[in-house]
Amino acid sequence: MFQEKGQLKFEDKWVHMRPIVLKLLKQEPVSPAEWQELFYDVHLVCLWDEKGPGKLRDHLHEDIVQFIKQAQNRVLAQRQEEALLKAYIAEWRKFFTQCNYLPTPFRQLESSLQGKTTSAGTSMQSNNNKKGASDESIVRKLMLDSWNESIFSDIKHRLQESAMKLVHAERNGEAFDSQLVIGVRESYVNLCSNSEDRLEIYRENFEAAYIQSTEMFYRMKAPEHLANNGVLAYMRYADAKLREEEARAQRYLEAGSNGVIQCCVKVLVGNPLSVLLAECAALIKDGETERLQLMFRLLERVPEGVQPMLKELENHITQAGLADMIAAADIITQDSEKYVERLLELFRKFSKLVHDAFSDDPRFLTARDKAFKSVVNDTTVFRLELGTGRSIAGKVVTPESKCPELLANFCDMLLRRTPLSKRLTSEEIESRLRDVLLVLKYVSNKDVFMRYHKAHLTRRLILDASADSEKEEDMVEWLREVGMPADYVNKLARMFQDIKVSEDLNAQFRTSTERHDAINIKILNAGAWARGSERVTVSLPVELEDYIPEVEDFYKKKHSGRKLQWYHHMSNGTITFSTNSGKFDLDVTTFQMAVLFAWNQRTHDKITYENLRLATELPDGELRRTLWSLVAFPKLKRQLLLFCGIASAPKDFDEHTVFWVNQEFALIKNGKTQKRGKVNLVGRLQLSTERSQIEDNQSIVQLRILRTQEAIIKILKMRKRISNAALQTELVDILKNMFLPSKKMIKEQLEWLIENKYMRRDEDDINTFIYMA
Amino acid sequence: MADENENEKMDNENQKPEKMFTLKKWNAVAMWSWDVECDTCAICRVQVMDACLRCQAESKKDSYGKQDCVVVWGECNHSFHYCCMSLWVKQNNRCPLCQQEWSIQRMGK
Ligand SMILES: [Zn+2]
Ligand SMILES: [Zn+2]
Ligand SMILES: [Zn+2]
Repeated sequence: MFQEKGQLKFEDKWVHMRPIVLKLLKQEPVSPAEWQELFYDVHLVCLWDEKGPGKLRDHLHEDIVQFIKQAQNRVLAQRQEEALLKAYIAEWRKFFTQCNYLPTPFRQLESSLQGKTTSAGTSMQSNNNKKGASDESIVRKLMLDSWNESIFSDIKHRLQESAMKLVHAERNGEAFDSQLVIGVRESYVNLCSNSEDRLEIYRENFEAAYIQSTEMFYRMKAPEHLANNGVLAYMRYADAKLREEEARAQRYLEAGSNGVIQCCVKVLVGNPLSVLLAECAALIKDGETERLQLMFRLLERVPEGVQPMLKELENHITQAGLADMIAAADIITQDSEKYVERLLELFRKFSKLVHDAFSDDPRFLTARDKAFKSVVNDTTVFRLELGTGRSIAGKVVTPESKCPELLANFCDMLLRRTPLSKRLTSEEIESRLRDVLLVLKYVSNKDVFMRYHKAHLTRRLILDASADSEKEEDMVEWLREVGMPADYVNKLARMFQDIKVSEDLNAQFRTSTERHDAINIKILNAGAWARGSERVTVSLPVELEDYIPEVEDFYKKKHSGRKLQWYHHMSNGTITFSTNSGKFDLDVTTFQMAVLFAWNQRTHDKITYENLRLATELPDGELRRTLWSLVAFPKLKRQLLLFCGIASAPKDFDEHTVFWVNQEFALIKNGKTQKRGKVNLVGRLQLSTERSQIEDNQSIVQLRILRTQEAIIKILKMRKRISNAALQTELVDILKNMFLPSKKMIKEQLEWLIENKYMRRDEDDINTFIYMA
Repeated sequence: MADENENEKMDNENQKPEKMFTLKKWNAVAMWSWDVECDTCAICRVQVMDACLRCQAESKKDSYGKQDCVVVWGECNHSFHYCCMSLWVKQNNRCPLCQQEWSIQRMGK
């Protein structure tokens, strides 16, 4: 201990140390005394011989290399694959274990080589702290690197080859000891002394070889299987193989090694992609949900694999939907209930397909919705001519789907007292109304629905024909919930409010005098009901005329600053028709009343068209329509009025056509003549005149133009400058709850706004617009 | 059935045998509007038949559609929403259309 530095030589000590080192390398027993001695000798060599540490390292290295050479010879002596792997793994495991022991006594050497002089105290400490230190151990690194440089570099190709041969054999169904492959892999991982990237050797050698052999295997097998068994069987094969390879990779590869699966996907799915996709349309058509699931599972793994499937689905739904609509055109164009039912049946069918085959994957739901939109807004089966064929402001209007009108008609059948609404329970009506809202979601031009729905609601409220007033108001809220524009929904709500005000007023009027049990009045807010609509003049029968001044006087007492306008084309009533054989109650319009009462003074007379015109003062069109409803009411076997001559439409009457009351009138029920009964001749209550109907259509188009301009300005105000494409997208988004603006209309409105200096085009880029305040 | 018998009795009581058609019930429909020369309120630019802008904004919170927003006529015969005019006169006691001194001729009810 107290010898001077330089007196103790490495060579003297090494003679004692070496046998112990060799024992350790060979995993031969070492006594505790020898083990202790080795520690002490290393300490002395490092402390007293300046050149000791370097020499110690070199000698150690030499012995390690020597040992490895012997191990290599033992391994390479094996000719057979499994035996070779077994021998290698056995040698490696022994060596790797020693990698944890041998460095321990050389702790002091480590410090010396790193240029630190350390006391025995700290060396003791590092002994206690074995594990942490061994990670950076120089001796350990020396051992591993030596193994890597000598044995591993020489035989790694044979090792890999042998391991891959075993994996290949396993793919062909042969069993073997998987520990052999796993053992090889572990040696690749543990061998790596690069602390930055511990998987470097593994990845560059083992994994690369694994991927290469896997790819070769399936490049051979996959096309063969496809050719021999066909696409459907192949999909099952590919799916099974992908799962199998995933499981295999978990066994044989390090976690996070995804390369091999990507490679399998490329070979099994990517390469034959077009062949697989060619099958997609037929599977969708036949509703082969299980096979579609399989196809989806496979194709989802490759980029751009799902996109063509989406397209196929959209095409199929659109085509099948339209074909179905066209096949049933005769029924559904006549019957809005059947139409909605048919559509919903289609929706349910395809929604089920998307659910079963694609688990409601959002991409497929979107494709389904796109197809539903095409079906609903298609104009092949029926079209709605906005503007009734006349061009508006010199522009021809493109036809639109009649769907929104039919939806509104169906709503009306559910909400009005009709045979349908009487047959259904309240819950059934509600669920059908919800169905309508579902379809409405896909309608581009919701403004058309709004217009028809409002007209129907007006009729129901004016005729007191609602089946359930609570449901009426529910419906308004549901429309709000599905995102119909607030100003529209508010207008409907205002009509309900107003009709209640009017009911109160009617109650007051009826109690104000006893004489008026035959009259009900509805005095409505023109702003809520009939903005800008045109009135029709009529000369009322005296029986009705009498009431007018009394109502007006009553109203003047209640209110001031208001003017009243009578809307006789909306008013209606019940009259009793007495013939020689019976008595019938007729629900009629006021116009029908005016015509029929003309016979009260001359029961059996024949009256010419011209004289009826003079008596009623109805405009030509209204009189023709009214007379037609009395000579050819669809539900009646015996008509109320008879006329001479031939007429197949209202326009066929001329001023000399004579009309008379059918004294043989009777209601026929089950083939028997009834002497009493009630019949409703009102039909669809007219809300506006022919001319204002055209104006209505025009006003839809005008309103669209206005809304489009407003929306463009709104967007520009916010964005200041915007590209044409971005503008179009935002515009459609803003307007989508009302209508789908056509490209042409947008273009026209842009031009108009530019012309009128609301905005301008960018001088450098004509496809960019700039807001002008 | 009972109804019809009653009706028949009534018909017999007020017998008017010469009439082939007799009125049983008439549902007469009329629309009211403010008796104004100009449909639009010149102050808020909303039609006078609709509530003024302020009332529309407030009515969204309460039960909508309540027609409390009446019209007022000045001596000059110009008319506005009463709400709009009562705010206007606080700034300027003249009719916004003809600049005559504003005095109320009548109120809508
Ligand atoms: Zn106002
Ligand atoms: Zn107001
Ligand atoms: Zn004035």
